[in-house]
Amino acid sequence: MILNYIKIAFRSLRKNKGYSFLNIFGLAIGITCASLIFLWVEDEVSFNDNFAKQDQVYYVPTNQEYEGEWRTFYSTPGPLAEAMKTEIPGIVRATRSSSDERLFSIGDNAINRTGRYADVDFLEIFSLKFIEGNKENAFKNPEAIVLTQETAEQLFGKNVKALGRVIKVSNRDNYLVTGVIENLPSNVSFPFDWVAPFERYQDGAEWMEEYGNNFSDTFVELSPEANFETVDAGVRAMIPIKDEGNNDYAFLHTIKNWHLRSHFEGGKVTGGRITYVRLFSVIALIILLIACVNFMNLSTARSEKRANEVGVRKAMGSSRSRLMVQFVAEALIMSFIASVISVLLLFLLLPQFNLLIEKNLVLGLTNPFHIAVLFSIALICGVFAGLYPAFYLSSFKPVEVLKGIKTTSGSASFIRKGLVVGQFTISIVFIICTILVYQQIQHVKNRDLGLDKDQLISMRTNQEMIDKYTVIKQDLINTGTVKNIALSNSQLLSGGNNGSGLEWQGGTDTEDVLISFRHVSEDFLETTGMELIEGRGFGENIAKDSTNTLVTESFAKLMGTGSPIGKKITRDKDYTVIGVVKNYLYGDMYGASDPVMFFNHNDYARYLYIKINAEVTTSVTLSKIEAVMKKNNPAFPFEYTFVDEQFNAKFKSEQLVGKLSQIFALLAILISCLGLFGLSAYTAEQRRKEIGVRKVLGASITGIVKLLSKDFLKLVLISIIIAVPIAWLLMSDWLQDFAYRIEINWWIFIIAGLVAILIAMATVSFQAVKSAIANPVNSLKTE
Amino acid sequence: MILKLNNASKIIKSGGKKITLLDNINLNVEEGEFISLMGPSGSGKSTLLNCIGMLDNFTEGTYTFLEESVHSMKEKHRSKLYKEYIGFVFQAYHLIDELTVYENIETPLLYKDVKPSERKALVADSLDRFNSVGKKDLFPTQLSGGQQQLVGIARALIGKPKLILADEPTGNLNSKQSQEIMELFKQLNSEGVTIIQATHSETNASYGSRTINLLDGAIAS
Repeated sequence: MILNYIKIAFRSLRKNKGYSFLNIFGLAIGITCASLIFLWVEDEVSFNDNFAKQDQVYYVPTNQEYEGEWRTFYSTPGPLAEAMKTEIPGIVRATRSSSDERLFSIGDNAINRTGRYADVDFLEIFSLKFIEGNKENAFKNPEAIVLTQETAEQLFGKNVKALGRVIKVSNRDNYLVTGVIENLPSNVSFPFDWVAPFERYQDGAEWMEEYGNNFSDTFVELSPEANFETVDAGVRAMIPIKDEGNNDYAFLHTIKNWHLRSHFEGGKVTGGRITYVRLFSVIALIILLIACVNFMNLSTARSEKRANEVGVRKAMGSSRSRLMVQFVAEALIMSFIASVISVLLLFLLLPQFNLLIEKNLVLGLTNPFHIAVLFSIALICGVFAGLYPAFYLSSFKPVEVLKGIKTTSGSASFIRKGLVVGQFTISIVFIICTILVYQQIQHVKNRDLGLDKDQLISMRTNQEMIDKYTVIKQDLINTGTVKNIALSNSQLLSGGNNGSGLEWQGGTDTEDVLISFRHVSEDFLETTGMELIEGRGFGENIAKDSTNTLVTESFAKLMGTGSPIGKKITRDKDYTVIGVVKNYLYGDMYGASDPVMFFNHNDYARYLYIKINAEVTTSVTLSKIEAVMKKNNPAFPFEYTFVDEQFNAKFKSEQLVGKLSQIFALLAILISCLGLFGLSAYTAEQRRKEIGVRKVLGASITGIVKLLSKDFLKLVLISIIIAVPIAWLLMSDWLQDFAYRIEINWWIFIIAGLVAILIAMATVSFQAVKSAIANPVNSLKTE
Repeated sequence: MILKLNNASKIIKSGGKKITLLDNINLNVEEGEFISLMGPSGSGKSTLLNCIGMLDNFTEGTYTFLEESVHSMKEKHRSKLYKEYIGFVFQAYHLIDELTVYENIETPLLYKDVKPSERKALVADSLDRFNSVGKKDLFPTQLSGGQQQLVGIARALIGKPKLILADEPTGNLNSKQSQEIMELFKQLNSEGVTIIQATHSETNASYGSRTINLLDGAIAS
């Protein structure tokens, strides 16, 4: 019996090629799309899964209060880790940790690698698996370093023992390889290529031993028996106990939330990437739904063709349930064919998708879980899409259908229309969202940054570079391709490097305000294109300006009325304000940046900024800069980034949402149009006789096209009416997350509506014109 | 007696008006009879056949089929009954286009849950009998009208029904094909199958053992 169904299903697929194509292709697109999203979701939710102690490992962020508002920072005081481990029962391991990039060289082979300085507990907390060496001895030597296998291979070559070898780090210090660990997967929150003892990073710095300075990442491991609430309470109490008058408090943030729930507001977790994971999962389901709806629509629209078969089978003694099984089986066969096609599509599309989302997802067809999911998708789609047509088709009465009485019941055509409206509603919502997301991103990108990000190169510095800064600067200017260069302790567009407890003239409650500190060289404003709106900038004589400072407008505002020039700010010592810089944007691109205080010295310089001459070809400029760097800083590879690229990278997740919503909008429309195309074809066929009669009676071609298109136009109009409020609600909610955002304009809805109408009409009119120009003699003759 | 109709009527409502399709039909059919229903278009021939075939229901009166009262029977039971004892032959053949000749003939057996080996034997016998062995893998659209109707009859007979209901079985055929079909019916009848056919043609009616004339839903004679 089942075999019989399958046989018939295949024959009827072959016989109705166009119909089968529309159905299978639509479903295949839907399944492909959903599979891509599910692969992405799987990657997102499996972040940090590789670390064995999922229930025991916690990050320790701190909440700090500024101007009455709690803000969450990942940095903690240095001594916190040790204190928690010894004083809070239940915490069995704790580590300080700081991420840093270092140059490793073995002879001429030099590579930059990011890694972590940490305490020995780090190795156990993250259950690192040693290939060479072992956990116990890895950090016994103060010059120790543990490398990932990949890093070791890059330095020493494949299948070469790395243990016991010495690496030159930052072209200055010697590190001894005491261990090689397995590579980390790409989906970890805090990736690292190496781990070295924290003491080496601290290098005797006493400020790292004080509670007032937040700088270190802290990770802890709880014992399996520990009660989370008790331990967390202990952690929260720790800083105020140790550092009197300090109301900062640390808390536990479980490893399971690091990736998806790491967005804090008012000191509490408010979500994070989980929002996008949920959003895209819903979108995947919606796309599948649209594809299934196509199937339902086309199947019921085609019912007239199947009606006869239903009648005959019933007369031959088939029960209704058997017919339903048959129709569902047909739908299942289609959805399984579609899923096979979608596997092929996935092979083709996954590399492109990976480029887009900047991940390295694999299809993993050997993974039984993936197969099971694909199988379930096919199964659910088949049953879901097939059930309604099966229910509908099997309800036909043999006497009526065999007599050729028209069976299109009102309810079926109503449901069909409803489904089309549903599809188009979703498509229009997607179109509106796409436009708005794009607008919002452009809006923020075109925001007045207060600096000029174009033709600006950023480079990491090292001690040699800073020592030779004057020479390098002169050499670069001499190439004629560089306009200006400057040093800074901090990345131009990033936050961090901040503190509070300052006092200044003209302000009250000044200790409470969080101020960012930027230590820069004299040409910093010119190089970065920041604007001086009052006073003067730093002169070339560093010594002369050592007690002078520049502040941003927002800082100046906090200094009371009148010009801030000449007023004093007290930090470690007194500084005199000599100039005011226009506010510039850093950190959160959607918010307002904290006030900034600039100091003029190169002691903490970590970044070199080079403003290049726009009139010279970039490649020429880069090769000239490289030559200068090779000459003055030969030990380090020439690595650089453009600040405008750093700027764009800040919009990654929004841009991803933008791009994906574009793709989904396109696909949703494509699938909906496939359905509409099929539906219009059947409507045209159903009304063949009517059209023939009308033409014989003198109807014009345009009249008939109008007649056939009118009904569909109505459906699209209804969709627009439903879609507009939905899209408006969704997008106002999304925009709420951004302090700096667009207003939703009414004309966007009109554009989206027009686009939908145009596309729908183009799809429908093809069929309408075809049947309108057909010779009525042919359509009236058939019987 | 195979079936008995007692004051059987079918009255439907259409647009608020009552329409009488069948009016107080009284009919006894004995086993082995070959009855021809005649009458103009709209006289109720098809409706009567459908009601007897249990694809449709009388609204009044009683209908007894093989000593069981059909009018008071549940749908499920009714369908079991006609699946077992009745075979249909249609004017437009109503073969399933997606199935081969072999599979079309086999279909009723599938619904009767006949075992595969037995099915095979029965269909092979039937193909033999109708000289269609060579055509068993063809699809209906590849056959002439007469050949299609032969398959239709083979299909109706495969379940060994006691009663064949044929609604203008030769309506779409030319005279030569018609004659062949009617000869076949006559032969089947002589083998003991009860047949009721609806027809317009006097010639076809003459093959039957009894003719019933219908007019406006009532038996006229």
